[in-house]
Amino acid sequence: MRLEVRLLGDKLGVAVLGYGFMGTTHLSAWKLIDQCEVKAVMGRTFPKVKAVAEKFGVTAYNRVEDILKRNDIDIVDICTPTYTHAEYAIRSMDAGKHVFVEKPIALSLKEADAMIDASKRNGVKFMVGHVLRFFPEYMKIKELIDQGLIGDPVIARTFRGGPIPEWSPWFLDKEKSGGVAIDLAIHDVDFLLWCFGEGVERVYAKVRKLVHTDISAEDFAIITMKFRGGGIAFVEANWALPKKFPFTMKFELDGTKGMILSDNQSTVPIKLITNEGVESFSPETLPWKPTMYPFPIDPYYRELKHFVDCILKDEKPMTDGEVSRKSLEVCLAALRSSELNSPVSLPLKEV
Amino acid sequence: MEKIKFAFLGVAHIHSNNYARAIKELPEAELKAVYEENEKIGREFSEKFKIVYYNDCEKLLRTEDIDAVVITSETAKHYDLAMKAIEASKHILCEKPIAMTLKEADEMIKSAEKAGLKFQTCFVMRYHTTSWLIKNLIDDGRIGKVLAIIGTNKLNVSLPLSMDWFLNPELSGGGAIMDHTVHLADLIRWYTNSEALEVYTETGRNVVKNIGVEDNFLTTLTMENGVIGHIDGSWSYASGFYTWGDVTLEVLGSEGVILLDAFRQNVYYVGMEAPNDKLIWHYYGCDADKEMIKSFINCIVRDETPRATGFDGRQGLAITLASYESLRLGKPVRPG
Repeated sequence: MRLEVRLLGDKLGVAVLGYGFMGTTHLSAWKLIDQCEVKAVMGRTFPKVKAVAEKFGVTAYNRVEDILKRNDIDIVDICTPTYTHAEYAIRSMDAGKHVFVEKPIALSLKEADAMIDASKRNGVKFMVGHVLRFFPEYMKIKELIDQGLIGDPVIARTFRGGPIPEWSPWFLDKEKSGGVAIDLAIHDVDFLLWCFGEGVERVYAKVRKLVHTDISAEDFAIITMKFRGGGIAFVEANWALPKKFPFTMKFELDGTKGMILSDNQSTVPIKLITNEGVESFSPETLPWKPTMYPFPIDPYYRELKHFVDCILKDEKPMTDGEVSRKSLEVCLAALRSSELNSPVSLPLKEV
Repeated sequence: MEKIKFAFLGVAHIHSNNYARAIKELPEAELKAVYEENEKIGREFSEKFKIVYYNDCEKLLRTEDIDAVVITSETAKHYDLAMKAIEASKHILCEKPIAMTLKEADEMIKSAEKAGLKFQTCFVMRYHTTSWLIKNLIDDGRIGKVLAIIGTNKLNVSLPLSMDWFLNPELSGGGAIMDHTVHLADLIRWYTNSEALEVYTETGRNVVKNIGVEDNFLTTLTMENGVIGHIDGSWSYASGFYTWGDVTLEVLGSEGVILLDAFRQNVYYVGMEAPNDKLIWHYYGCDADKEMIKSFINCIVRDETPRATGFDGRQGLAITLASYESLRLGKPVRPG
């Protein structure tokens, strides 16, 4: 374990890598966590990252080593594209920093394992941002399951979809994001693993470029999961929807004693209707307009706060490296199943 | 116009009540008689609809002056009853699934065709105004090329449990897969104008234990034209659910998407005292049962081909049986 000498009341210093949608969402959230002080942001395009840094009152960097040198940085929060996660995470952990990384943990199990190893050998906390677990409706779902209200979970189905995220071009690059089966489906896969509380036996999936055939990332994935205890689940992750399609997430779980249903479109509390059309606002849930969140009820705040609590109390983060590796493994199995047109058994053997 | 006269051959399936009610309400139809092996069920049915009861199928077919039969017996008896009706030269409206095996289905279809008789499968969703409207939207090119169709046809678990024979594979052919694959499989075939190339199915531990058949499943289809389909027809909605079940579809096209919740047209009702003290849906959408019978009568009168033929019934069964085969082999299977 790394020895920490700090004065009572000293705040944990935070650096955020990446300044895109997720980077700025996290910067806003860090500002609200009392035990922390966000001090740095890193990005490759210096004028742009400087503008973001000024807005949040932090220092701008465009080289990670300059951040890692700072002794007053305790936490590195990685919000860069997925393909860079492993390198930044391992370097940060080797510099003795606690690391929070956006989901998915990485693009391969090899990278994920190296990240887990780095956290162990450096004795630092490591958490992956499976933020769905911090969305209020999903927290409520888990609470009801834990109360035993549905009995044993039997069959689940989830839907997650909206237009292709063309505002962030790296999502459209298979080499950078892993495509819809890795980037989007992993939300529900992680949540289902948590709900069923058991490992996955095998996976059968169809992962396709349906509508956006001119990009390298797939835009449509349907995944059937068979759990070791006998449960089954259907996951649809869809970026092939029209531009006006509202971002939708649905969840259903039928068990031996009851069923749970959730649908973010049917629970919209605020609709703004103008001559331009209809805009929906669900302040506690929809991740579309971070600037409009009445903090601190935001799920991103909640996940980062959990990470900070784990550091201060020396506890295991809910979605640590090992836990987050599991959802990646299922999503990679889905890709392989689709390529082979055959069910794929877990644990996955690396190719 | 002369009325088309109907008799029921077998009424073990709960749908027989809906179809009989629809026939009674149609001015162009007349309901005359019912044959049912189980005398108790048969007599109840005959009293309810004020028609003659027979415990002998041949006798009914010999005695009654009827044009058509509705077969709503246990699935295992479809074949025998259909062959008898064909021999007696009656048009056939047959509950789904059409039969237990493809061999049976093929023989039923061929015999009806040879005898110049109409054979319509009870794919009631083809007669639902919403699914018909979607067919038109697709054919009008409103969503471009169809790429994927994902659907649910889930059932409140209390319904299958109310019919004993549903839980006896010798009479039903299986559980939820046998019962609730075909409606969506048929819509997917209809909307894509394509047949299933491959079927892969998973089933989980049961929602209701020890009922002898599977009550949940997830089926992935790959159609010959490349469209991806997915079917969840599980009997897994909790018995306290506010309605019987659902038919939902996402039809994803190159230019847009259609979302269907076919039985969504409801008013909510909730009362103060049991049994009304829970939220219940009261449906006001189309009467698809009646539309289906009307369409069948039109086919007889105008000598037209049914919208859902015996062949459609057969293809639905082929997908269903491929599902079971896929479970057995643990890999995708091409339907027979």
